[in-house]
Parts: sequence; structure tokens; C-alpha cells
Amino acid sequence: MSDTDPETGGDSDHVADERTESDGGNRGLSDRAAFWISAVLSLALAVGSVWLIGVRAIQFEALQRVRPTVEGGGVGAGWIQGNTKPALDWLITLIHFADVLMGVFILVMIFMHWIAFRRLAARMRPHGAPRRNSDAVATDGGERSDSASDTTCGGDAE
Amino acid sequence: MTSLDHGKFSRVTTMFHSLLALTVFLLFFTGYAVAFNDELWWLVELMGGNTGVLAVHRVAGFALIFLTAFWVFYMLLRAGGSVSLTAVLPTPGDVAAFVQDMKFAAGMADERHPNARQFAGYSADEIPLLSYVGKGVIAIFAVELLLLMVSGLLIWQKTMLIDFYNSQSVVIAFVAFHGALGVIMMMGVMFHTFEHGFHPAFYPVEMKAFLPKSDTPEYHGDAESESVTGIERLRLKPSWGWVTNVMGVLTIIGVVSILLASMSYGGYPISQTIVFGEGSLLRTVGINIGVLVLFIGLFLSMYGNVLRARYMRQRRQEARTAATDGGRTDD
Repeated sequence: MSDTDPETGGDSDHVADERTESDGGNRGLSDRAAFWISAVLSLALAVGSVWLIGVRAIQFEALQRVRPTVEGGGVGAGWIQGNTKPALDWLITLIHFADVLMGVFILVMIFMHWIAFRRLAARMRPHGAPRRNSDAVATDGGERSDSASDTTCGGDAE
Repeated sequence: MTSLDHGKFSRVTTMFHSLLALTVFLLFFTGYAVAFNDELWWLVELMGGNTGVLAVHRVAGFALIFLTAFWVFYMLLRAGGSVSLTAVLPTPGDVAAFVQDMKFAAGMADERHPNARQFAGYSADEIPLLSYVGKGVIAIFAVELLLLMVSGLLIWQKTMLIDFYNSQSVVIAFVAFHGALGVIMMMGVMFHTFEHGFHPAFYPVEMKAFLPKSDTPEYHGDAESESVTGIERLRLKPSWGWVTNVMGVLTIIGVVSILLASMSYGGYPISQTIVFGEGSLLRTVGINIGVLVLFIGLFLSMYGNVLRARYMRQRRQEARTAATDGGRTDD
């Protein structure tokens, strides 16, 4: 992280995490408490929100389908178009606009990564090249054996 | 001194990521089986018809509310949580990274910007926690997930909305909003699958999303190679080339098809009339290809966890072997 103090060993998130996640079992109590409090709060929120919808609704499910193409019809079959809430029409138009905008952007990103990956691949050693020597293990693993480093070549920045 | 920044995710993050992926994939498979059921009828049948599909969709929706709420609470409550929050905010460097990525793809730049770096050969403090794409994913997902959860809850019991608005069409409008919103997310997840599964240095999965950084071996040596990414020393897997090309084509077709289908269905997912003149073979093939890309994404997500389990078992075995040699075991 760029906004941390290099004097204190850099990434403070990393420091916090090492404290929490070291193998020695020396987990910070605050993180453990945070985990369980979060679990309880979120379960309450999830149950509460579904419950809220449940008590407000008539308790039967008569409406199953959006597109009434399958035999017997579905949700839409008996429904006529005639939305009386213009705000909803407007929101749907907005989302369709966002769909197109994001779709085009996502396509650009896919092409860009595809090309960038090809450029990066061209720099790598071809498949037939001899296995890396022991120095090079450092580039994609650590001090462990080749088999271990093969399965752990991580290091992505996302 | 660490010359690599392997592993960015904590143990909770890796678990959250895997569970969120499973939940979101289930929501896609069920939700799109409903929205595009002319094209994905087989998916509906596979999951037990309409009742089954909607039941799975709601169970997954419940899990989604639980997981995202958990994540927000956890981020706010845990020590150093504020640091994680600032790390997801976009910076000017992220814009520069996008521009440089475009240049890199066009051959006008020699390297990707540190804010775009997936292959982290640089020293850890040069690499931000999240790349600009990662930040974008979090920002877009945060907005979309919130809207999807709220609109999803509203249409959970459609009778409630009918009661409230005294109109069935309003309810269908909510459904249309919910479905059209999901299209952005589905396209984004297809891109996410391609971006993280098919980087030549990580293909087929980036283990950093599955192996917590506390369990990731890091190299603590001298920093002689800091100015290079070190990618030249890696060997390309033999299948990378053709697999990536095939996946690239499938991802593009999937995104375009889902996008076009959501457009051609118009504002509402119901037809003006009961009689349908549908049945575009091209669209059916395209949407099914999109769903195939999602299945591959789900498979890769699970494969990452298989690799993690295998690696941890290997480490335990090594620790045991070391102990019999006279060393000591930590666990």
C-alpha cells in the first residue's frame, strides 16, 4: 500500500494480518472478535431482511416465471404491460444504458488483457526450455522445492 | 527484504472470495435460466424446473446478503480495517495504469504500470494491494450487489409488491430492473474469469486468491532482481496459447450475446403478446457459450481450492518428514 510508513516495515495491513494469521496460533483477539461479531450481525441482517419481506407479503407463491414460454404459462403470461410508475421505466432505461456502456468497456478490457497476456507470454521461456536452475526458483515460489513452488506461483496485485 | 509480493489475500478473504464466487455463480445460473429461458431451458430442467430454480435462487440470494453483510461488518470492525478501506479507493495512479495498459497492449509501452501488475516481480512496496482493475471490480460490485440485493428482496414475494402498488406490471418492472442490472455483473464475471485464469504466468489459476498470504512462501533474499519482473525466467505452459485463444473467443462471444439478448428483449422481460416469434439459433448458441464461460469460471474457482488443499497437505508431509529427521514440527 502506498500510504503506509516504510519506516515501520511498510504495509500495516500486512503487519496486522501476520498477527492474525501466523501459524503459531497467536491470533489477535480483536480480529477474532470482529469475525464473530460480523458473523452474528450479518446473519441477523440476512434473516431480518428476508423475514421483513416475508411478514409483509401474502404467504403463497403464485408467480413463478418471467418469460411465459413454457407450457402452462408463468408470471408474465397473464400480465399486461402498463407500468404505472414512470420512475421504474426510467430506471430500466438507465440500466440498459449502463449495460451497453459497461459491455463495451468490458470488451475493451478483455481485448486489452488478451493482447497484454500475449506480449507477456512472448517474454517467457518456451515450453521446451530446460528447467530453471535453483536461483530462478525465487521468481515464482520461495525457498521450497520446485513442486511446491509450481503450485504456489501467486503474487497478483488484484 | 521481500522481492516478491506473493499472496495478498488473508485467510478470511480467500474463504470469502470462494464462497462469494459459488453464491454468485448459483445466482447467475438460476437467474439467467429464468431471464433467458428460451435459450437456457435445459438449465431450468436441470435444476428442477421453475420452482426448483427459484428456490435455489432465493437460497443463494440469502447467502449473498449474509456474505456481503459479513464482509462489510468485518472490514469495519477488524483492526486495520480503515487501511483496507483506503486501499480500495481509486487514485490518479489507477488512471495512469489504465492508460499505460492500453499503450502496453498497443506496443507503445515496455511494461505494465505497477497499479496494473498481476505478475509481481517487483518489491512489495512498489505494488499496491489492489490493481486498478481490482479496485474497479470492488467499486462496481459494491454498487451492483447492493442494488441487486434490494431489488431482489423486493421481488422475493411478488404478491407483496402487487399488494403495495396494486399493479402487476409494476412488479414486472422491478423484475426487469433486477435482470438488466445482473447483465453487467455477468459480463464482468466473464471478464474476471478470463483475466485471472489466463495470465501466462499464472495459468490456469492465480493461487494468491486461494492460498492465504500467511501460508504463501515468500523469498527473502537479496534484492538484486528488483528492477525486473522476472517473468523471463518462467516457463510457459504448453497449452497456454491455444487455450487462451479459445477462452478469449468464448468470452467475447458470451459477453456480446448476453448484451445483445438483454437489448433485443426490450425493456421488459415479457413479450407484448403471448405468441412468440423467438428462437434465434445464433442468440441461443451465444448465450449458452456465455454460460459455458461461467461454468469454467466456477470450475477454476473450485480447482484453486483443490490446489490449495494439495499444497497444504504437501507442506504437512514435509513438516512430518523434517521432524523424523530431527527437526521440530510446529503443528
